[in-house]
Amino acid sequence: MKRALLAGLAVVLVALALYPMQATGYGVRTMLQLFMWVALAQSWNLISGLTGYVSFGHVAFFGMGAYTAGILIGKLGWAWPAACLAGGVMAMVLALVIGWPCLRLKGPYFAIAMLGLNEVLRVIVSYYEGLTGGGNGLSLPTLHASVPIYYAMGLVALAVTALTYLIITSRFGLRLMTIREDEVAAEAMGIDAFRHKLYAFLLSAVGPGVVGGLAARDQGYIEPLSVFPLIMTITMIVMVLFGGKGTIWGPVLGAVVLFVFQELVWARFIYLHQLFFGAIIVAVVLLMPRGILGVLQQKYNLPRTI
Amino acid sequence: MNLVITPTMVGQVVISGLLAGSLYAMVALGLGLIFGVMRVLNVAHGPMLMLGAYTTFWLFHWLGLSPYLSLLVSMPALFVVGVVLQRLLVRRVVDAPELSSLLLTFGVSIALVNLTQLAFTSDLRSVEYLTGSFLLGPFAFSKSRVIACAFAILITAGAFWFLQKTRLGKALRAVSQSREVAQVCGIDVQRIHMLAFGVASALAAAGGSLVAVMVAIQPEMGQVYTFKSFLVIVLGGAGNYPGALLGGLLLGLVEQLSSLFLTTQVNEAVAYLLLVLVLLVRPTGLLKGRSS
Amino acid sequence: MPPILEIDRVVKRFGGVAAVNGVSLALEPGRIYGLIGPNGSGKTTLFNCITGVDQCDEGEIRFKGRSIERLPPHRIFHLGLGRTFQVIRVFPELTALENLLVVTTSDYAVARRRAHELLALVKLERLAGEFAGNLSYGQQKLVEFIRVLMTDPEMILLDEPAAGVNRTLLNELLDAVRRLRDQGKTVLLVEHDMKVVMGLCETVFVLDHGEKLAEGAPGVIQADERVIEAYFGR
Repeated sequence: MKRALLAGLAVVLVALALYPMQATGYGVRTMLQLFMWVALAQSWNLISGLTGYVSFGHVAFFGMGAYTAGILIGKLGWAWPAACLAGGVMAMVLALVIGWPCLRLKGPYFAIAMLGLNEVLRVIVSYYEGLTGGGNGLSLPTLHASVPIYYAMGLVALAVTALTYLIITSRFGLRLMTIREDEVAAEAMGIDAFRHKLYAFLLSAVGPGVVGGLAARDQGYIEPLSVFPLIMTITMIVMVLFGGKGTIWGPVLGAVVLFVFQELVWARFIYLHQLFFGAIIVAVVLLMPRGILGVLQQKYNLPRTI
Repeated sequence: MNLVITPTMVGQVVISGLLAGSLYAMVALGLGLIFGVMRVLNVAHGPMLMLGAYTTFWLFHWLGLSPYLSLLVSMPALFVVGVVLQRLLVRRVVDAPELSSLLLTFGVSIALVNLTQLAFTSDLRSVEYLTGSFLLGPFAFSKSRVIACAFAILITAGAFWFLQKTRLGKALRAVSQSREVAQVCGIDVQRIHMLAFGVASALAAAGGSLVAVMVAIQPEMGQVYTFKSFLVIVLGGAGNYPGALLGGLLLGLVEQLSSLFLTTQVNEAVAYLLLVLVLLVRPTGLLKGRSS
Repeated sequence: MPPILEIDRVVKRFGGVAAVNGVSLALEPGRIYGLIGPNGSGKTTLFNCITGVDQCDEGEIRFKGRSIERLPPHRIFHLGLGRTFQVIRVFPELTALENLLVVTTSDYAVARRRAHELLALVKLERLAGEFAGNLSYGQQKLVEFIRVLMTDPEMILLDEPAAGVNRTLLNELLDAVRRLRDQGKTVLLVEHDMKVVMGLCETVFVLDHGEKLAEGAPGVIQADERVIEAYFGR
């Protein structure tokens, strides 16, 4: 059974790798977006799905990566691959700065702190106009690089998924889960909860950082509203909740399903779309807290590594 | 940045801070009630305020009703909304891990904001009611701010009277302290939960109605109040109701003082910095709160 | 022999009330101690102060001669002091085996072996792969008990081990505790079941209203008038 699944996965990966040769520019850009969402959802899953610490401001890391890469490319002439990696690094730094004070405490306080993070960053970006272009945004030199960025995004999505797999199958991952289950008991059993939470948080920031940089390069133009939108956090959360938080493939499933939905509905009915997402969150929390994969896991006694 | 700061300016700023702070205190008290009684962080608290503001706007727009009279409508209306929300949705996650109630109220807040956007569009609205300032010696205070503060004090005093002097209020405080003991004493905990949510929503609505004459009304206006209410709760200590008052006043003061030295844009960042600082130094709040 | 655990005039207040008010205890290694007292006497609070879940307001706590009152729980655990909880706190979404594996940081193979050993000790081998949340109350209690033994602690605090447990299982647990003592470990248990305390403990401490009321062998304590008064009212 496992062989068949691995084979299937390999086929899918090969197909995705070959896709740009057959597809239109629009198709490539769409799939590129899908990869981005997979990377984002998986990253959110790393902190919130595994440790149970809800990160409401995760898009801050995306924006951080976008601006870092944007500034490096636009103002310092860096090549985009390096700039995007730098974006990931800066996002990690931000996670360290925020996480260090805020993760020492129990879940609710962390959630509160993350709630405001987004706004603050938007304000700071507007303030340092000289560097970031403020409200007028930042333009990057034109570059038609959709195909390389497609592969880059795909790589990040794959990397974060692989990272999730490694974590969930390791004792580190088990310890993260004990924090979710019962932090007091975890501490009593010798688990340094703060350190574990911090590591998870740092790891969860890299993906969005790199992907933010790639998105910035792809769009060619960034402004505060476009890279720190609340809807992005909402979408990340819905995707993971829907697919199954704390699982490996849940975020992927959620990303695929809801991305399709988004492509069909969003452009024309934005508020309805967001309303729907809000309703899905409520519905999932009440009816299906473990998401689709979680339900399947329970029903068919599947291993945790799905 | 001002290079010359006179005592008058400081005085003006301090009193402005207290005026603003009284509003924060009232709204935050609502959030604190929900957290104290149910251990739920209500992310949808801000939208409640927003709905209060819209209620006031439409009553003013259609009926010419004074915003201050509209309190009599917005507070009971949102009380009911709060009770219904608790009964239908929040009730189911009170005993679940914190993650669930956070996500649930988050989902509700998104739904409320977008429903409002669909219904009323995101056009900015305003209530032009009271303009001008009261002049007191060298100080000038916007009339709407002063009256808002007066009402906030009145309503908050009423809330505390309710908590301290009435049977239901005492029951509510009992449930905040220990749900099990309260149950053993025959208190209907579920009813108290609904009551707390209702009262909290009413307080938020009051905030919205009072703020309606001062700021632009739009569907997302509540977000910042959610965060600031949380901040106040952290400052004052979770479950510490009087603490919420002090926390609110403190926040108001800090904000106004910072506007003296920094631009108003950075205001938000200051509040955030304050939060992070407090979390670092005294995680249980500046006053004695209960550790969560 | 120097005491393994010393509690030195510890005070812990909640609001205006002192839940623990100047308690001093000294525990010798290799013995089984009991901590009893009527409800609200401060037993669990004292436990929480010792294990770092709460921070005491005054006083010192020394474990193996080292001050631990300011240390976080996970460090205290690694010094060799483990505890179980009054309300069972296994990790429900982890299997019984995983509940044990998360504890130790040593080599994986070594940890697995030890985990299986412990599971065999309490005859739960066949449930190793079962989610802890699906186990029965008694089974969860056993898992929590062996979980604290994973790192071979020198001292173990047991918070109401007999609560909700049937006779057979209880006897198994008590036997296990005696074996631990025979291995040289120190055990301190909080318990309401007097038969358990009197039958198992070598020395009993009695707390009342946050203060130490009496200390001594079970027989002596049972006959102490002050203790009887504390339990059955004045």
